[in-house]
Amino acid sequence: MPEPIDVVEALLFASDTPVEAERIQEVLDLESAAAAREIVEGLRARLDAEGRALQVMEVGGGFRLVTRPEVAPWLVKLARSRTRSRLSRPALETLAIIGYRQPVSRPEVDAVRGVNSDAVLDNLLERRMIRIAGRKESPGRPFLYETTREFLVAFGLRDLGDLPKVEGELIVPELAQAAAAQLAEPGPEEEITAAPDPSQQDPGPGGDRVSTSG
Amino acid sequence: MSAPETTTQGAVPESPGLTVRVESFVGPLDLLLHLCRTNEMDLSRLALRTITDQYLSHLEAVRFQDLEMAGSFMVMAATLIYLKSKLLLPANPDDQDEVLDEEGELLKRELEERLREYARVKALGAWLAEREAEQTLVYGRTTAELPPPEDIPLEDLSVHLLQRAMQRLIEDQQRRVPRQVEPNPLSVLERMSEILDLLRSTWSLLFSSVAGAERLRAEWVVTLLALLELVRLGQARARQADLFGEIVIERNAVSVREPARLVETDEESRPAADASGEALAAEGPRDSMPEEETPRAAATPPPDDEPRTEQGEPLNA
Repeated sequence: MPEPIDVVEALLFASDTPVEAERIQEVLDLESAAAAREIVEGLRARLDAEGRALQVMEVGGGFRLVTRPEVAPWLVKLARSRTRSRLSRPALETLAIIGYRQPVSRPEVDAVRGVNSDAVLDNLLERRMIRIAGRKESPGRPFLYETTREFLVAFGLRDLGDLPKVEGELIVPELAQAAAAQLAEPGPEEEITAAPDPSQQDPGPGGDRVSTSG
Repeated sequence: MSAPETTTQGAVPESPGLTVRVESFVGPLDLLLHLCRTNEMDLSRLALRTITDQYLSHLEAVRFQDLEMAGSFMVMAATLIYLKSKLLLPANPDDQDEVLDEEGELLKRELEERLREYARVKALGAWLAEREAEQTLVYGRTTAELPPPEDIPLEDLSVHLLQRAMQRLIEDQQRRVPRQVEPNPLSVLERMSEILDLLRSTWSLLFSSVAGAERLRAEWVVTLLALLELVRLGQARARQADLFGEIVIERNAVSVREPARLVETDEESRPAADASGEALAAEGPRDSMPEEETPRAAATPPPDDEPRTEQGEPLNA
């Protein structure tokens, strides 16, 4: 009978998306998400202690098993390509605007950047860094954009609260709620963990930071 | 926060010294921010005269590829010039300082606010770039071999993706235009064989029954040529009672030769027949077909003189 820690390792190894603590709790029939988190931490410590090439990363509201940066050169060689394609500066700045102000419409993004953002938004949509969150009830009913879980994963962010704080205009009072909503939302877990409260509270450190920031 | 990329070497040959390429700025605010930074200017106290002059001199050095981008730089230029023009007509002539009227002051404050906000966005962009760079060194699974869940979560499917899929479908559909199937090009020799076959079971037949009731120009021409050839070879006879009337094809009692010999030259004569058909078709509205149904009319043929000699030769040989 494999130990829970080994099962968790297998879960993280086989999954293509971050696995939430609640999901681990459900799969392993654990008492709480906190217990799941504990096992993950155990796995993290074990991988660290053994000096393995893999590490546990907490991103996008869940856990991922990824390689350590030190082995990246060999992986690049294995892939026979130089580096992964990176986002352009306009794309990064647009992402920053959407990250803080979401959901936000294109005219609003344009206003901050001072240039038309059509092409950039298309590119970000295609890379699934953002998605359409609906339409704004303003003239022309423009699309509203918000960041995705892929965005959090691509930038190694646990949640939106991981974004640095900025004084002034960009801080939106609803940021904390938006972040919490984003966390509560993902995936089919909603039906499984019937009570939404633990899922919102569970990403403890991240959630804490969000509330203090907002 | 790092300064934007500048190039010291000849981006614009005619202006010597340090040249800052506007192409490396992602927008007018980016350029304006750069100018404020290099002048160590407070973002809440823009020196409009200096900044406007510098901004404009940068613009002059630039050829824009992208009209939209050029437009956004021009809008900013217009705003700056407008503000500067207000300074030239000070509300209080005694003021040495840059003093604007109320409207100008509002405009300036709005510009400063936008600039400050852009500065924050730019810093955040740089921060994200660092995070991204760190993350590119870290590899995890992007596809799983686990079977997909039975219920597909729809939360990641946006209208945009749906629209994209639809568009792809439509484009595919458009590319799949029904292929035009070309009928086998008519061949004079084949038609000759057909006529001979028919004449074996009957003594006489009508030209129109061979050429087809649809009165397709190519059909009629090929049939006529075939008939004329058969007449020339003495394998059939043709009779036309009156001008433009029906042609009756009759078996020539003497004819015993098999059409097999004719078929040998099939390949050579096919394009010729084809060409003659086309030449006639290209000729335009000239539907007085019966006119040509007499051997005499065919002797002075429609402008397809070349194909005629071509297809005549192999038969003679």
